[in-house]
Amino acid sequence: MTSQQGRISLAVAVAIVVGAVAFAWPLFLRPESGMRPEQAPIVFAFVLPLVLAMVLSEVAGGRMDARQLAMLGVLAAVGTILRPLSAGTAGFELIFFILILAGRVYGAGFGFALGAITLFTSALITSGVGPWLPYQMLSAGFVGLFAGLLPRATGKAEIWLLAGYGMVSAFAYGWVMDFSFWPFGIGSGTPISFDPNIGPLENLHRFVLYNIATSMGWNLGRALTNAALIALVGPSLLRLLRRSARRAEFTAAFDEPAVHDSR
Amino acid sequence: MSLHPWAWWCWAISIGIAVNATTNPLLLLLIATAVVVVVMLRRSDAPWAKSVRVYLMLALFVIVMRLFFRILLGGAQGETVLFTLPSIPLPDWAAGIQLGGVVTAEAVLTTLYESLRLAVMLLCIGAANALANPRQALRSVPAALYEASTAVVIALSVAPQLIESIQRVRRARRLRGDSTTSLRSMGTIAMPVLADAIERSLSLAAGMESRGFARTSGLPTKGTLPVMLVSSMAATLGVFLLLSTDFWQLSLGLMLLGMLGAGLGLRAAGARLRVTTYRPHPWRSTETLVALSGALVALIVLGLGWIDPNTLSPALLALLDPAALTPSTDPLVWPSVPPVMLFVVALVLAPLPLTRPRPPATVESTRNDTRVRVLRPRTHAEPEPTWR
Repeated sequence: MTSQQGRISLAVAVAIVVGAVAFAWPLFLRPESGMRPEQAPIVFAFVLPLVLAMVLSEVAGGRMDARQLAMLGVLAAVGTILRPLSAGTAGFELIFFILILAGRVYGAGFGFALGAITLFTSALITSGVGPWLPYQMLSAGFVGLFAGLLPRATGKAEIWLLAGYGMVSAFAYGWVMDFSFWPFGIGSGTPISFDPNIGPLENLHRFVLYNIATSMGWNLGRALTNAALIALVGPSLLRLLRRSARRAEFTAAFDEPAVHDSR
Repeated sequence: MSLHPWAWWCWAISIGIAVNATTNPLLLLLIATAVVVVVMLRRSDAPWAKSVRVYLMLALFVIVMRLFFRILLGGAQGETVLFTLPSIPLPDWAAGIQLGGVVTAEAVLTTLYESLRLAVMLLCIGAANALANPRQALRSVPAALYEASTAVVIALSVAPQLIESIQRVRRARRLRGDSTTSLRSMGTIAMPVLADAIERSLSLAAGMESRGFARTSGLPTKGTLPVMLVSSMAATLGVFLLLSTDFWQLSLGLMLLGMLGAGLGLRAAGARLRVTTYRPHPWRSTETLVALSGALVALIVLGLGWIDPNTLSPALLALLDPAALTPSTDPLVWPSVPPVMLFVVALVLAPLPLTRPRPPATVESTRNDTRVRVLRPRTHAEPEPTWR
């Protein structure tokens, strides 16, 4: 059991490192490399699927039993239904609160797999497969992953904790996605576009301006949606998920009363 | 027989790579037209086949948004002034930015060329989305991802059932006389639907368990995880070096080596499972030819970028003209299309003669199928009255 846990955390740690490099490419792209800013996320789009495949095969392969797998599929279906309902209306996004609550109840690995698989399925249904998909899968996976790593809390405190995390993660998701696809949105040559010649700090400054100008409203809308949904539906949905987790684990040992850290 | 989905993806990705290497607007428009023609003539009538329209809108949106910001934020380049906007100074924290100012034809044209390139790339991705059947692509994933792809298949098949479940819950509410449509009523629909979904997952799990699913689960082959970890780190390091230094041979080699290693590791991890495919989709010579036509497009365009125009004889120069790939916008010149670009466009159209259009899935053919007809009870003893 411990070696399995160790393997999963090792794979997830590598995914975090690779993800950090993939999302932060505007900080280290140098002009002498001869690569154009628009090519960078596309080159990563070839490498990231392999990393995702590795982590998913570690997290899901041979370790999830039928019950967890069925729960993963059904919750991903819920997210897939909710995403087209909410896309495009000023950041009103409905999938993240499910990722956060499920990651909290079923643990970090499950949260990662749910985030990645929900985004993948929804891209298949709405035909949104493209170079942005590995980035979306990875960052949504991280939203679920860190929800599973939050500290222990119960009752009202837990809802406050999760709602706060919902706001933070909404902004973080928006920022990393915007940062990595920055040149796609605005191109080159304007005073708020990426320029490999001016160094990382100046680029960060430009990115902040770009982000305020283009996507502040979206991120804010997403953060408020997350917090409101978690506060409203959170308690009952957490109860529902925990009950089914208990029912699904009829072989569980008695020394594990709290379900949320079982995997 | 439809084409293998990965063949369409190879074709589209290669064209996308070729598009990435040129800003010639005439070539870009020709390629875009060719891609749209192939999609229109070769798509099926499945729901995902309509996605190319969404991608066309997205492409237009990209062009409009970039032009808008370019005009709004200025950035003087060249001397052909189109018009001048009143300029507004911004506070200190927005250092170096001004709104409005002189708008030149050179700046607008540069932005237009670049955004057109991105738009055509988006269109290529849209074409692959419209042409390839996503479920069949999912069937040829490596065995190491067997569990993950099972979860995707569950999600894909449960999603329509959930919509049906929403309708059922709403009907039940109406029968109880509760027909309010406020925000609070969303909760009274959402919770029963979610509870229903979770019930469904438990019964599905019981079904999977009783059919022996997950009995093959054991530890993956020893040593695959280190291989995969090291190779994905190597691939990432390769991309990092590719972007930040000019050692492109070393970094490209590192990246390819890492990708190869990760692929082999996945294969070895999947060896613990013996997964069979129900009616596997064959990869025939047609698939190879379609994929090759795309790869040839990418090779020719990338190769043109490598050629030094000074080493060519005049006849070859007229035929190839590498400089036409990136026409100058400062000074303004009219972009030209040398013959080799027409050949490239012809290659983009290659799937048309190689494949046949898919026959529309008519219900008529099933209804008139003799094998189906004999199964039906013979009730039509007398002919139908003609006035009906």
